[in-house]
Amino acid sequence: MEQMHSPMPQDLKGLADALEAAEARLQSILQTVPDAMIIIDEQGRIESLSTTAERLFGYVKSEVVGRKVDLFMSTPHREQHDSYLKRYLSTGERRIIGIGRVVTGRRKDGTTFPMHLTVGELQLADRHYFTGFIRDLTDQQLTESRLKELQSEVTHMSRFMALGEMASTLAHEINQPLTAIANYLKGCRRLLERMAGEQALVLRDAVSKAADQALRAGDIIRRLREFVARGESERRIESLPKLIEDASTLALIGAKENAVTVSFRLDPAADLVLADRIQIQQVLVNLIRNAIEVMSEGGQRRQLDIATVANGGDLVEVSVSDTGAGIAPEVAAQLFQPFVTTKRKGMGLGLSICRTIIEAHGGKIWVDTPPGGGTIFRFTLRAANEEDRSLVE
Amino acid sequence: MSSSQIVHVIDDDVAVRQSMAFLLSTAGYAVRVHESAIAFLQALPDSEDGCVVTDIRMPGMDGLELQGHLKSMKVGLPVIVITGHGDIALAVQAMKAGAIDFIEKPFDDDVLLAAIRSALARNLHNVEREARFAEIGRRLQSLSDRERDVLEGLVAGKPNKIIAHDLGISARTVEVYRANVMTKMRADSLSDLVRMAILSGSSP
Repeated sequence: MEQMHSPMPQDLKGLADALEAAEARLQSILQTVPDAMIIIDEQGRIESLSTTAERLFGYVKSEVVGRKVDLFMSTPHREQHDSYLKRYLSTGERRIIGIGRVVTGRRKDGTTFPMHLTVGELQLADRHYFTGFIRDLTDQQLTESRLKELQSEVTHMSRFMALGEMASTLAHEINQPLTAIANYLKGCRRLLERMAGEQALVLRDAVSKAADQALRAGDIIRRLREFVARGESERRIESLPKLIEDASTLALIGAKENAVTVSFRLDPAADLVLADRIQIQQVLVNLIRNAIEVMSEGGQRRQLDIATVANGGDLVEVSVSDTGAGIAPEVAAQLFQPFVTTKRKGMGLGLSICRTIIEAHGGKIWVDTPPGGGTIFRFTLRAANEEDRSLVE
Repeated sequence: MSSSQIVHVIDDDVAVRQSMAFLLSTAGYAVRVHESAIAFLQALPDSEDGCVVTDIRMPGMDGLELQGHLKSMKVGLPVIVITGHGDIALAVQAMKAGAIDFIEKPFDDDVLLAAIRSALARNLHNVEREARFAEIGRRLQSLSDRERDVLEGLVAGKPNKIIAHDLGISARTVEVYRANVMTKMRADSLSDLVRMAILSGSSP
């Protein structure tokens, strides 16, 4: 370009040769420079562009040379570019030249992408030329957003781990008073056994039941803790209808008072499953109680439906559906994450624990929001098949 | 039972040791409570009539160390170890060090009382104890070879995946075997299963 700066005509032929050489050099630079490069004049018309720029925007050079550079831009810069140029040329105030900024580029097919733009200026006699250097930020932004995603996953995970820690510490601490409670109650029962009278009999029965409940609480904690620590649970071959019957007996307390009608549709083929009884009951109780809670908030129809289906393969599906207000899709998507809740007083742990339990059982849990309203929670469990039963003997 | 037979309860949690004393006294036992293993050793009786019920995880000297001390002092008091949750590995160690039983908190009184009865009657001809062992033996007999392999892995504290790898079968199959073992052994929990296996002497 040196030659352009020295327009003294020594020899016209020599000048033409020099120009040609300069042009060839410029073209070879434009073809090989790894960055996207666009040269425009002071009206914003494209003079030339690099091969990388052609590829990046999806045009070939011949399509764009002479056209306004704003076709590479998206709103609002697209409409404003002419005025940007005018302002710069009249005021000399630099807003992008030598500074660089992240803007949105627009490809031939109309799609947009993030890009970093730096502009250099070239003055020839009284004419201005501008060179834009462009870096495609698509990959970089993808990396960044993936990084953010990972970070939030890790945060969730560490919260979940903290939860596991909390559960196991809590388990140990709670076991002590539970042990004391059970000991006192069992001792009382022994004393009452030696007492006569009808009241002693009633007391003995009540005290004995209370002691059993203390032991049951210990059992729940023990399983939860084993599960958190080892990710394993105590699975047996269990009858699914029996599991559902036991869980609903517990969970449906108060359903009548809330005017909720309950129906069961149990597939006879969905019989034996490989499951930790207490954990699956925990899941069922959780889902059923949620359903009742949601429906008791209002609404005329209050129908709870508990159903099972054997899909013929390795899994059976259990569903708990309600006729409540339903769940917004954006909430539904992250409903099973820890600390996500729709309840005013909820911790947002119930469904996350349900998911952990079901996934550890080799199943899946998800939510359907039928068009007719309400919510259906579904989960799958592994069926215990003939082959498993043959392993028994 | 003989009045000289004393049950020594050692637990650092005051509510636990007092409630245990209450329970055992209602069952007719003479009980002495100690807040630590060291306190117990300091008050160690001359007479060896009785037994020790000790928590395994305690500040200062723990249940395992206490067993070691008793052994080196040639004190022959039978020891029952009580564990909090998740201390199965420790409990197995205690059993191997000579504890006669281990019980998980919170426990059913019948389980504790049966263990104490057999501890106190250790040197006598103990019909109940033998009947119990015979029953566990019968249940063990009902296991298939593969189920026994899985049981051994569980007693060794291995997770399902490792057992599966060792035996060259799928983890899912291990789970099924494990479920069967639990059912056949009539075990309430993994620790119950491990306890039965160790009591019967079938541990590896």
